[in-house]
This record gives sequence, structure tokens and C-alpha cells, in this order.
Amino acid sequence: MKGLKVLKGEIGWLKKNGLQVLLVVVLTLVCAVYLFPIYWTVVTSLKTNSEVFSRPPIFFPSSFTLSNFYTSADVFRAVSQTAVGSVPWMIDSTIIAVVATLVSTFLIAAPAAYALVRYIRSSWLARLILFMTMIPEAVFVVPFFIIVAKISLLNTWWGLILVYISFSAPFSTWLLMGFFNDVPKSVEEAAQIDGLSPYQIFYRISLRLVTPGIIAALILSFISCWNELLYALVITYSPFPAGAQTVPLFLTSFIIVEKSFAWGGLAAAGIFTMLPTLIMGIYAQRYLARGLTLGSVKG
Amino acid sequence: MRRGQALRVGLILASPIIVYFVAFFIYPLYTLFQNAFTSASGAISLDNFRTMLSDPLLSVSLSNTAYYFVGSVALEYGIGFAVAVLLYNYTGRLRSIFRTAIFIPLMVSPVVIGLMWLMILNTNYGPLDYMLSFFGAGGINWLGSQSLAMPSLILANTWEYSPFVFLIIYAGLQTVPQQLYEAASVDGLTRFQTFRMITLPSIRPSIVVAFLLNSIGVLKGFDLIYVLTNGGPGYSTYILSFYTYVVGFSFFQPHYAAAIALLFLAIIGTFIFLMLRFTAVEDYLGLKKGKGE
Repeated sequence: MKGLKVLKGEIGWLKKNGLQVLLVVVLTLVCAVYLFPIYWTVVTSLKTNSEVFSRPPIFFPSSFTLSNFYTSADVFRAVSQTAVGSVPWMIDSTIIAVVATLVSTFLIAAPAAYALVRYIRSSWLARLILFMTMIPEAVFVVPFFIIVAKISLLNTWWGLILVYISFSAPFSTWLLMGFFNDVPKSVEEAAQIDGLSPYQIFYRISLRLVTPGIIAALILSFISCWNELLYALVITYSPFPAGAQTVPLFLTSFIIVEKSFAWGGLAAAGIFTMLPTLIMGIYAQRYLARGLTLGSVKG
Repeated sequence: MRRGQALRVGLILASPIIVYFVAFFIYPLYTLFQNAFTSASGAISLDNFRTMLSDPLLSVSLSNTAYYFVGSVALEYGIGFAVAVLLYNYTGRLRSIFRTAIFIPLMVSPVVIGLMWLMILNTNYGPLDYMLSFFGAGGINWLGSQSLAMPSLILANTWEYSPFVFLIIYAGLQTVPQQLYEAASVDGLTRFQTFRMITLPSIRPSIVVAFLLNSIGVLKGFDLIYVLTNGGPGYSTYILSFYTYVVGFSFFQPHYAAAIALLFLAIIGTFIFLMLRFTAVEDYLGLKKGKGE
């Protein structure tokens, strides 16, 4: 009797929450699919070569090795005989991404976005900025190569920095326009009454009020510079002497050479490549949603 | 502030972007036109555009681009939308964990995504083939077959981009006022009717924005093709962005590459123009007028 009562209770609970239970199951499966490639890369990086090339594939390795991380560093080093240091690709990528991001966000995008929201309101200019964020790299790859060659900056940090500014500046401008647009005008009017000049209002008041926007612009611009491949392939094509080579470029040449051999090392190098942006992205998830979707999602 | 003074302040603040605009947009655009409308000898000619008309590789690239575009957007949109609706209907504690998990692919660099799928799709040692072999569908050479290389690319691209659609639609769903649902249940609407008559019209902005940004993202794609198939086997995964690069930097025909780039720009431009003309998409992108006025 008692058992039947419990069973009845269970059925009642299931009737009420059946949909939720089903949703948890389905969503867990969905997430497993999204996370599997990352899991597979991590697991592969921790396998020995014979474990990597086994059939059936090993889904849950019983022992782990870190040798792939050292080996991958060695292979990278062998590919990149540069004097810059032991991890030139990381250094190059960091410098290029940081400089391009700072210049495009603070020097170009922030004042321009403020001007376009407060002083030169024009829907045509706004549309032009939006259009510029959507032009594929492949369209401008030939002219940028010609221009960078003309000013003798091929295979240098500066060449790639200039080209990266070309796509991060309009993107950050559009993003910050949305944020400046949300700043109430009354704040600025109050500052004006206090006797601040328009530039002081921009620099001391409004810029501080859009800090979340600035953070989103900085992180997203850094991530897109860090990950960029096509321009890097063309502008910094020459590995010798390697004046500037970014991480994705190294990884692709590594993949081309080791496609059928050093999967463990490749996976380890892949983890090196994606870890910085992955950490930033997860950490700043809330800020980024709005930026990634060009302002349509208010996080 | 007087109008003249306001304009002066605006122009001073905008001066860096004006320099940028001339140096990074007008000048490259001019260089693009200049190259497209001259032959290799430097004489002005329409040869590049004439070549386009009879270039079999260009027509292959165009039809591949259409295949890639339709396949990717359909899958990404469908899956992203469905997952967003599923997560929205789930009210338990795991919500933010699920959201973060689905967000993660967006943060992985495309070259690494290429590497991941290279390993997963491998016929001999990859996990996918092993799992499929239980259903008698093993031994398929995903990336090495003319007919399956493109679907494989679309699969990898769907993993990368469906979270993007998810993100936009999910955020849209959360802005639907709860009162509307209460009113619907008072009126006795079924679940499906509520979805069709309440939810869908309310998230129209997200639906349009997700379509626009997803489409642009797919058309921009280059990295996955470069890493996974490099255009092959044969020319079966040549798409427009990849072909522009190949013509310019493997065939060393910058003039012809410039002409193809102009065609590419025209296609993207037309697409954006149509979206702006027939939807209010720019109003949905966080720049609604009036708030700061």
C-alpha cells in the first residue's frame, strides 16, 4: 500500500516536471556535443603517440603525459628559428593584438563614436560604419598587401598592426556608439553648467560612464586580432627572417607539416593558441554578448 | 552650444576616424578599383571582367559559396534557434551552466576549430568514424571525398556559428514581457499558438539580426577552409573568399583577384542593402534614436 502511494507520488511529480526532466536530458546532450571537440583536443594533447593512433580511439585515457607540451614547444621552435626568444609567436601575437586594440579603441573609436552620437548625428555615417564592420577580409587582402608592400612594412609588426586596425576600428566605433547613446544627456548638461569644456566632458565624464563598452571593445578587438589568419598569411608570409608571425599562422604551418603525424603536439599547440581568448571570453561573457552581436543583445 | 561650434567639436573628435577612413577605406578601395580595371601591363582595360565571364573556377566557387551559405545558415539558424527555445523553457538551476557551455565555441579561434575537426573527422583514428561504425556507416573519408568535403565544412562551421544564433535568439526571448504570456493563458491559447502569436512577433528584431550577422559571418569564412580542406579535394570546397586569396597569392594575379574581390564586395553590399531596405535591422542594433536626445 505504502509503495503504491510513493509510486503515485512519483508519477504525479513526473507529470508536473516531466518537461523539465526531458529538457535537462536534451540540453545536457546538446552541451556534450558543443564541448566534445574541446574535450577531444585536451585529451589528445595528454596522450602518447601510440594512444593517439589507436583503433578503437581512446575516449578516457588511463594515463596522462605532458610530453606533448614540451614537444610542441620544440617543434614550434624548430619551425621558428628567430632570435626574439623562446616563444616568439606568442610575443608577436600579443604585441600586435595589444597595440592594434589600444590604438583603434582609444585613439580612433572612442572619440569618433562620441562625436557621431553627440555632435554629428547622421544615419548615413552610422550605416557606413556598420557596412565597414561587415566587409570580408578577402575583399581588401590584395589592396592591403600592395599598400603595405609600398611602405616597406611587409613581415613587420607595424604592417600587421596597421591592417588589424582596419577592421577593429569600425567594429569598436559601432559598439561604443551604442554605449554612448545610452548615456543620459542630463549628466553632460550638468557638467557643462559646471564649466567643463566639451572635450573635458568627453574625457572625464562620458568615457568613464561607458567603461563596460570599453572593456567589451578591448576584449573583442584583442580576440579578433589574436585569431586573425588571412591578413597574417599575406602580410607576414615569410618565416625567414621572421620579423612577425602570429600564433594562428604558426599553427597552420604546423598543421600543414604535421597533419598526419604529431597530433598530440598539434593538440597541445592548439590549446596554447585558444587558451588566452577562451579565458578572456568566459570571464567577460556578459560584456561580450552585446559586442559580438553588434549591440543587438543588451547583456 | 551653437551649431557651428558643435560641428567643430564633432569634427575634432572625429578627426582620427576621418584619417582612418581615407587611409584604410578610401585608399584601399581606390587601389582595388585601380587594379581591377587595369591589365598586368598597367593599361586600363576590362580584361579582368571579361576573364570572369569564362572562368570555370569562378563559377565553381560561386556555386560552392551558394551551397556553403545555404547549408550553413540553414543548419546554424535551425539549431541555434531550437537550442535557444529549449534553454528558455528550462527553468532549473543549471541554466547558466548550459548557457556558458554553448557560448564556448564562439571563443575558440577558427584555426583551432579546423584542427579539432581534422582530428574528429579522421577516418582511421577519429572518434566520429568509430561511433558511426556501430551503425554500419564507418570508413567514410569525410574530408577526402568530393561530395562529402563541403558537408564536413558545414558541420564544423555549424559547431562554430550556431551558438551565435543561439545567443541572439535566447537574449531576444528573455525580453518578451511576462504579461503577454499570462494574457495568452487567460485567453486559453495552446503552447504552439502562444509561440506563434506571442513569442515570434515579439522577438522579430532578434530573428532579423541573427539572420544578418549569421549570413555575414558565413560569407566572411576563410580559416576553416584553409585548414580543413584547402579548397580540395579538387575544387570542391573553393568558395569566394578562398578563391580570391588563391588567385592573388597562389596564382599571383593581383589584378584578376582585385576584380573578383569587387564582385565579392558587390554581393555583400547587395545583401546588406536588401536587409537594410526591407527590415529595420539598424534600429535593432543598439542605436535606437531618441534615448540620448
